[in-house]
Amino acid sequence: MTLLLDIVTTAAILFIVSAGLLAIFGVLEIVNFAHGAWLTVGAYCAVVTGGLGLNPWLALPLAFVAGAVLGGVTERLIVRPLYARPLDAILATWGLGIVIGQLITLWFGRDVQFTENLLSGTIHVLGISYSLYRIFALAAALVIGLGFAFLLEGTRLGLSARAIIMNEPLARALGLDTTRIRLFTFMIGTGLTALAGVLLTPLTSVDPTMGVSWLIGSFMLVMVAGSSFGALAIACLVFGGAQVLVSTFISPILGGITVAVLSALVLRISSKGFARA
Amino acid sequence: MKLPSLIATVTSVMLAGAAFAAEDPIRIGVPVGLSGANSVVAPSVVQSAELAVEEINAAGGVLGRPLELVIADDASGAAGAQKAFDSLVFQKEVDVLISMETSAARNAGLPIVSRGRVPYIYTSFYEGRSCNPYLFVDAWVPEQQVPPIVDYLNAEGAKKYFLIGSDYAFGRGMLDFARSYVESTGGEIVGEEYLPMDGTDWTAIISKLKASGAEAMITSTAGGAPNVTLTKQLRGAGVDLPYANLAVDEGTAKSMGADAAGILISASYVTGIDSAENKAFLDAMKAKFGDELRTPNDLSVPQYEAVYLYKAAVEKAGSTDAKAVLDVLPEVSFTGPRGTIQMSKQHHAPLTMYLGQVQEDGSVVVVETFKDVDPGEQCPKL
Amino acid sequence: MPDTLAASLPRNAAVRRRVLLLGLLALVALALVIFGPLVLSRFSINVLTRSMIYAILAITVDLLWGFTGILTFGQAAFFGVGAYATAMLLTHIGSSPSLMALALLLAILVPIVLGVIVGWLSFYYGSTPIYATVISLVFPIVVTQLIYSGGTLTGSSSGMVGYFGLPFGLEGFFRLSGISLVIVALGALIFVRSDSGRILTAIRDNETRCAYLGLNTQRIKILLTAVLAGVAGLAGFLYANASGVVAPENTSFVFGTELVVWTALGGRGTILGPVLGTIGIDYLSASLSGELPFLWQLVVGALFVVMIIFLPNGLAALVTRLTRRGRGEVVAGAGPELVPQPPRSHAAPSDAPLLSIDKLEKSYGSQKVLTDITLDVAPGELVSLVGPNGAGKTTMMRCLTDGKESSGGVVRIAGKSIAGMVPNQIVALGVGRKFQVASVFESLTVAECLRMSRAALEAPSIVTASDRLSLPPAAIEILQLTGLDKLLTAEVSLLSHGQKQSLELAMVVALEPRMILLDEPTAGLTKAERTTIGTILKKLTNELGFAAILVEHDLDFVRDISSRIVVLHQGRLVLDGSVEEVVNSDIVKTIYSGGDHV
Repeated sequence: MTLLLDIVTTAAILFIVSAGLLAIFGVLEIVNFAHGAWLTVGAYCAVVTGGLGLNPWLALPLAFVAGAVLGGVTERLIVRPLYARPLDAILATWGLGIVIGQLITLWFGRDVQFTENLLSGTIHVLGISYSLYRIFALAAALVIGLGFAFLLEGTRLGLSARAIIMNEPLARALGLDTTRIRLFTFMIGTGLTALAGVLLTPLTSVDPTMGVSWLIGSFMLVMVAGSSFGALAIACLVFGGAQVLVSTFISPILGGITVAVLSALVLRISSKGFARA
Repeated sequence: MKLPSLIATVTSVMLAGAAFAAEDPIRIGVPVGLSGANSVVAPSVVQSAELAVEEINAAGGVLGRPLELVIADDASGAAGAQKAFDSLVFQKEVDVLISMETSAARNAGLPIVSRGRVPYIYTSFYEGRSCNPYLFVDAWVPEQQVPPIVDYLNAEGAKKYFLIGSDYAFGRGMLDFARSYVESTGGEIVGEEYLPMDGTDWTAIISKLKASGAEAMITSTAGGAPNVTLTKQLRGAGVDLPYANLAVDEGTAKSMGADAAGILISASYVTGIDSAENKAFLDAMKAKFGDELRTPNDLSVPQYEAVYLYKAAVEKAGSTDAKAVLDVLPEVSFTGPRGTIQMSKQHHAPLTMYLGQVQEDGSVVVVETFKDVDPGEQCPKL
Repeated sequence: MPDTLAASLPRNAAVRRRVLLLGLLALVALALVIFGPLVLSRFSINVLTRSMIYAILAITVDLLWGFTGILTFGQAAFFGVGAYATAMLLTHIGSSPSLMALALLLAILVPIVLGVIVGWLSFYYGSTPIYATVISLVFPIVVTQLIYSGGTLTGSSSGMVGYFGLPFGLEGFFRLSGISLVIVALGALIFVRSDSGRILTAIRDNETRCAYLGLNTQRIKILLTAVLAGVAGLAGFLYANASGVVAPENTSFVFGTELVVWTALGGRGTILGPVLGTIGIDYLSASLSGELPFLWQLVVGALFVVMIIFLPNGLAALVTRLTRRGRGEVVAGAGPELVPQPPRSHAAPSDAPLLSIDKLEKSYGSQKVLTDITLDVAPGELVSLVGPNGAGKTTMMRCLTDGKESSGGVVRIAGKSIAGMVPNQIVALGVGRKFQVASVFESLTVAECLRMSRAALEAPSIVTASDRLSLPPAAIEILQLTGLDKLLTAEVSLLSHGQKQSLELAMVVALEPRMILLDEPTAGLTKAERTTIGTILKKLTNELGFAAILVEHDLDFVRDISSRIVVLHQGRLVLDGSVEEVVNSDIVKTIYSGGDHV
């Protein structure tokens, strides 16, 4: 029973962390290798919120706005010239990640920062006591997933974004302002990533390099998922589940590289990953 | 990072040196992890070295010569350490190296130390058994740190232990020793699990811990982040077993807030040591650094004492000649915040160990004191 | 041919000058590394020894990324494996001259074996560049994790130290690393300018075209990965000896990204740029980072971002571009001598038709694009495939050159079914394909493009750039008719649209195929150019016995040159007959309703 909860909550956390990366990759076909830096920015928003003595939940909207604004600037200055050079975009955003990390270090110092827990304690579910926050993370993942489903299916922006995914020249010919849609998509992706950074604070330490350890995992999951949030959810469940199972029954050390290795193998066998699912 | 102030203090130390007019300063190289994993603790190490140098220079220096600190970033790793040691030994031509570093950085520096023939006092606790004619250690090894904790837990009635660590040399080294010590004192290990150093998801391990029926857990995780991550997730999962942490320092414990309450730590230094030397030290630190003060800790205080140990050795040898200094280093002692320190046991030092417990407000209360714990057979060939 | 004789003289002089320059450069570099220790401080010697070893790695990154277009973070892992193989052997078994030799061997062989595995994982038909990058990230992560978990065997996080390496002093290792660097750099410089080396750039420019020239690009990339893994392993061996310590961070992907940063800042695709970039940055960081660790990384990071966006080829490329512009004329004049090549004898003609299509089908999901296509083509025939847009013409061409495309039916070439074959295997059966949009190599010269056509038939030299270019007479004739023979050293990106079309045709003919597939070869050409192409095609089929299948909209052109016309409509073959039959048929008139351009 605990195992089952471990699997779904692990999958939920992976989903929360990679959703922003997928939003960007799915529409723009650009891998934002500064993804880890945005998680860190989000977490530091929680630190700042705490420092100002505000309600810790306020960090969520604050981080979304901060992440989106920063993302807007980044899209305009760094990503826009590189849409035709996706490999260079990986490198440029990786460089940006280094810069953001160092700026955070210069500003806040290297130390582990204290953040107030959003929720603490345990809850009785299905007959066992389980971390309340992890159950909350599951709910948060569902909200983000459904939110995206709504955004993509039910709004003009989503429709335009899907048009770009399918056929950008056509979308442009139809009078869509693709430049602006790209900008908004990037901002939503980075805003969401910063939000995820806040959601991570009760689980991890907050320090300038905290994002890097999440980068590879989310990158691999997004590669497997392609451009579909449904596929991402499945990928998180399958690989997150594999990670928990390997960690529980074989070794947590192998568990740590499970997502990366399995994703690479899946991509080797089927280059579209789970995108067709 | 308070870099400007750091540079400023280095300069002020140099200016103080100007009082000695033409006397050539004795240069102390401090390779330390200003960036990378150790960068959290490094500023406190630099501060305590600065205090020691300032005090010594104010009192007339060593053999009439002023001390001068030369600090270099080793990026907390092997590659950075090579650059730092190269620079200190061959470019800045320091007379001695005194530093708190990661094991990887120490190992990377040792060949350069041997090549450059410079005494090297290592001031970080570590997994033990690093032996080199030029290397001395004034901090603890597993033989000194683990027994107090296990003895205490045994006395509390714990029989079943669960061990959790980061997968690296220190983590495994500490827990290997803990396992053998627990078993030799009649306890039982019901589980031993490791996560990669940069791992963030302890879920599976915590579930195993909860299912194991353990009565106490001992953890040895890498530096700041994994400690925090593990503790947060343990508390989130509602684990409230007696919890001994072999790798957490007072500062990190403080930053964890209420989550850290109840954690047992074993150290050769805690700020709460009740001695005149410690009080004087803490006051001097406060006076010198004011708001910039980094809480002195089990990694920074040995650095402070090592500078004094070097001073004593140079004075006894009558020169800074490496061979002469190395010959007398085991014989000199210094009484500082941690008590009287002498690196007399195979280049290591018997130490008084303190068992502390973290309180709700992050402060550490000493529960028990263990006098002059022997480091055991570290380097029988030296 | 007095023309070519005259042209070959300045070329030889140019070659001699380049060899001289390269030799001089190598001698100066050797002198620097041999006499350097006499003037350098111990600090500089120590730091530069390591920087030069890293520079060897940067060269391997440059060959992969700068020249071949494979962005890799994995070179650090091969380096680390080489270093660890050395350190583990010397620590656990001991050091003697023979064990040292064994260590050297293992430090090169183990990475090569891993390189083959990584290459096999990364490069397969249909793999994407980003996937190769993904693997290059996963590989060092796995290696680093294994080292952490290795306990005393690998020293875990503390690394390995205290083994006895080669008995050289500080100066000795400086010279050893320096000489190794000079050799590797020289080898790389010679290789990338050789005929084989140009294949790397061809793959970067246009991998599809490479495959359709019969080159097995996947195998080439795997081979390159394996060889460069060996070179990285050699660098690891040097490092383990010179530094006396190996640590997990030597294998990490973060170090891999640093190598890419250095290569980018020095200038990718230049060999010397990455060498100078690596030595410069590593030396500076050793001197400066003690004072300003965070600021230093901040500056490097920011510089890197700016470079990637505005100067993707680095500073060195800027310099090369400026100097090359200065002496552009000289280069354009010379070129290799064109040598007619006796025709290659294909396997004895069998009774089977050259091309036989039987009930070919292609569908995307439930949508059928091609249905029940059955068609035979014999040598000497010029079959035109006509039909309105969306009739499935290009799809059909694709099904004939890629055995994984069709959804049903059988395609046989010279009696052999191509089911499951990849393009370069089909090209080997004697099929050449010309694409609709001229598919050539933009950053190669005309002569180099043509040489690529021959690369699958006769292995090009890995050392020299040949001053002779053997081509089938038909290909030479195309060049002469279109004037490209005067532009052999011109870079393709400077050619006109029509010239590129002609060049591609010459490249396809140079493959000596038995059958050529052409997709709208005259689109966008002038009247004169069309006539030229028409003449060439007629000659190829009528006189030389090629079979040709032509997709074409221009019915006048089709009428002039075809021996047979096939009409495709809504994925079905609706008519197959002589020019007269088809042009006058009602079906064609209906399909092209209005029929203005019929």
